[in-house]
Amino acid sequence: MAQRNGWLRGTIIRKSGASTGGSTRTGTPSQVQSTSATIYGGGVKDPSGRTSEYFSMDDQCPVCKSDRYLNPKLRLLVSACYHKMCESCIDRLFTLGPAPCPICNKILRKLAFTPQTFEDLTVEKEVAVRRRIAKEFNKRREDFADLRSYNDYLEWVEEITFNLINDIDVAETEARIQQYRVENAALIELNIKREEEYQRYLQEQEEAERQERELRAQELRRLEEEERDEREKAKQGIIDRLETSDKDAARLVAKSRAEAQKRASARAASSSSFSQSSARLLRSRAAQSTVVPDVPHIPLQDDYYGYGDMFVQRDTYYDPVSEAVRKDREGIMRAGGYMIDQAWERALRFAVAGLEIAPPTGVSRQEGMAVGGKGPADVVMATA
Amino acid sequence: MTATPAPQSEPVASTSSQQSIYEASTQYRHWRFSQEELANMRSSLNLDAVSAIRHAFENDSPGSSTSVAFLNAEEEHLLVKLYVGKISQLCGHFRFPEEVEATAVTYLKRFYLKNTVMDWHPKNVMLTALFLATKTTNNPISLESYASHIPRTAPSDVLDLEFLVAQSLGFDFAVWHPHRSLWGIWLDVQTIPDVSMDDLQKAHEAATTHVRAARLTDAEFVYTPSQIALACFSLASPTLASTWARAKFPSLPHPPVLDVLEPIKAIILRNGSPPDVEAVREVDRRLRLCKNPEKIVGSNAYNKKLQEKEKKAEEKRKRKAEAARIAMEEGDPFGSELAKKAAAELDDDDDDD
Repeated sequence: MAQRNGWLRGTIIRKSGASTGGSTRTGTPSQVQSTSATIYGGGVKDPSGRTSEYFSMDDQCPVCKSDRYLNPKLRLLVSACYHKMCESCIDRLFTLGPAPCPICNKILRKLAFTPQTFEDLTVEKEVAVRRRIAKEFNKRREDFADLRSYNDYLEWVEEITFNLINDIDVAETEARIQQYRVENAALIELNIKREEEYQRYLQEQEEAERQERELRAQELRRLEEEERDEREKAKQGIIDRLETSDKDAARLVAKSRAEAQKRASARAASSSSFSQSSARLLRSRAAQSTVVPDVPHIPLQDDYYGYGDMFVQRDTYYDPVSEAVRKDREGIMRAGGYMIDQAWERALRFAVAGLEIAPPTGVSRQEGMAVGGKGPADVVMATA
Repeated sequence: MTATPAPQSEPVASTSSQQSIYEASTQYRHWRFSQEELANMRSSLNLDAVSAIRHAFENDSPGSSTSVAFLNAEEEHLLVKLYVGKISQLCGHFRFPEEVEATAVTYLKRFYLKNTVMDWHPKNVMLTALFLATKTTNNPISLESYASHIPRTAPSDVLDLEFLVAQSLGFDFAVWHPHRSLWGIWLDVQTIPDVSMDDLQKAHEAATTHVRAARLTDAEFVYTPSQIALACFSLASPTLASTWARAKFPSLPHPPVLDVLEPIKAIILRNGSPPDVEAVREVDRRLRLCKNPEKIVGSNAYNKKLQEKEKKAEEKRKRKAEAARIAMEEGDPFGSELAKKAAAELDDDDDDD
């Protein structure tokens, strides 16, 4: 409902069925309220802050040269050949049926004009082309024997897209697309179905989650109500008993308090088990929906000898140097993750590292870097 | 976290199959020399520098180099050593941790294994090395406050040399320091039974001063940081040090590390004190006369060199533009194979400057 009435608020403008084939364009200009009078600059934003229709203060209709100064309600729409025109020009030219574009002479229809999303019309065109291509060239990695052929396929698709965007050999490219469509009709259909299935699956998941949330909220409300009732009843009970009984008042109150406490704790236990079970459910669902197994990342998979057998680290040492860090109750010094045992371990490792290495002797060894090679190793870069 | 001890297995044996992490460090691979190598490097560097600078003097005005007394390798080293001491003073002033100080000292010493003081005065390089060390050891300080605490120093003085220093270091910024090894020894000695805490504490304090003295020497280029730390510890308490060393190599009756300690001790005792200021002042006075004229801003030779460089760069730009033009005419914006090759040659011949 909200979606259907979105245009009334002038916030949601859907760009539907945007592919380059003129006949599939459905976004009718008359359906979309002009918003230029209410919002200026940067275009129309949808609730998430994304620009759904672009316009600027410097807009000028290329056909009638009227601009925002002359006509504050100026609204430019884009044709199937990616030329901008204002609404009044469109009305004037295309009301009587298909007519040639005043700029490039391509035959256009009134229905085929769409609002502009991007500032740059080439981007507009690219998005449209890509959307169209993605619809049919939807093969997946599983449809290929090896990665190599999949990559080749992707590259081929990219080439076709590039050709269409930049108007290179359009006729030939269209023929290639047609041929592909014929050859792979079954597979395309299948992949579309797969995609739809996946979408449906996601939707179902969402729906189920929503229902569960509602259920839980209901349950909580019910519990709250019960609790309130009980409290009322208990209060009434105390008053009644105080009225009728001749026992010590303080003792009676204490007794009923204890009873109430017991009931409350029982309730808390049951509700916590409920929330636990739902959490488990959520988690198991998350585990199911992950497609890629999450392999833990282990950095530094090398095979160095770290002198681990040369020392045994104790839990604590007498160490005045690190006193301040260990006594640091607020954890100011440890904020960055400094742990004294790691510092100790590093120091111990340093103490035994290379103890057994004999010092180098003689001059036979090749020096690490060129020193005497070309005069003083003058690496002039700085400006002295 | 702690590795399980394997008393039977000999550590030396296990290194044969795996590379130890110390041997994988840049310190081991690039900055480890024998005493003879160090002496050779310094003297050949000095000879090359002298001949290059003599050449620069002759270019400026023929015959002028005969009266100049150039520094020799020992004098250069003496000057560097003085500025190593200056780093410690500066670090005390800024209250930098020991890590920064040790790193800056190492940078300065490494820099002058690749460069000569006659090209770059250690007074400037020292400031840059220290500033670089604050950054590489994660003790950052803003350049402005750093420069403002040092008289007659602008931020640009520090930064101008920074890339040169980093490049001379081969971008090997990580350094293994003996003072950390000494900390480890201090901790580990506590596991030896029947150690008097008082003795240990005294020994540790003395060893710390020895480690600081070792920074003035070439020990770090020859020996591993753990050996230096153990030698310092041994200077303070020979019995504790040898007990600990034997405990580390239970399977060897006489661990070879014990033989290394004496030469290190000798080096520290011999070279571990700051140089005589008067002697250094004399060196510095002579350095003023034999500085590389091409590095003195405003001198004839400097301007000449600058012009030459600009001329070369201009020529290169022209040739490159020409190559690009030819490539454009041929239709391929990225140039043909041939043009590419020509461009590659262009790139090759500009770095021998």
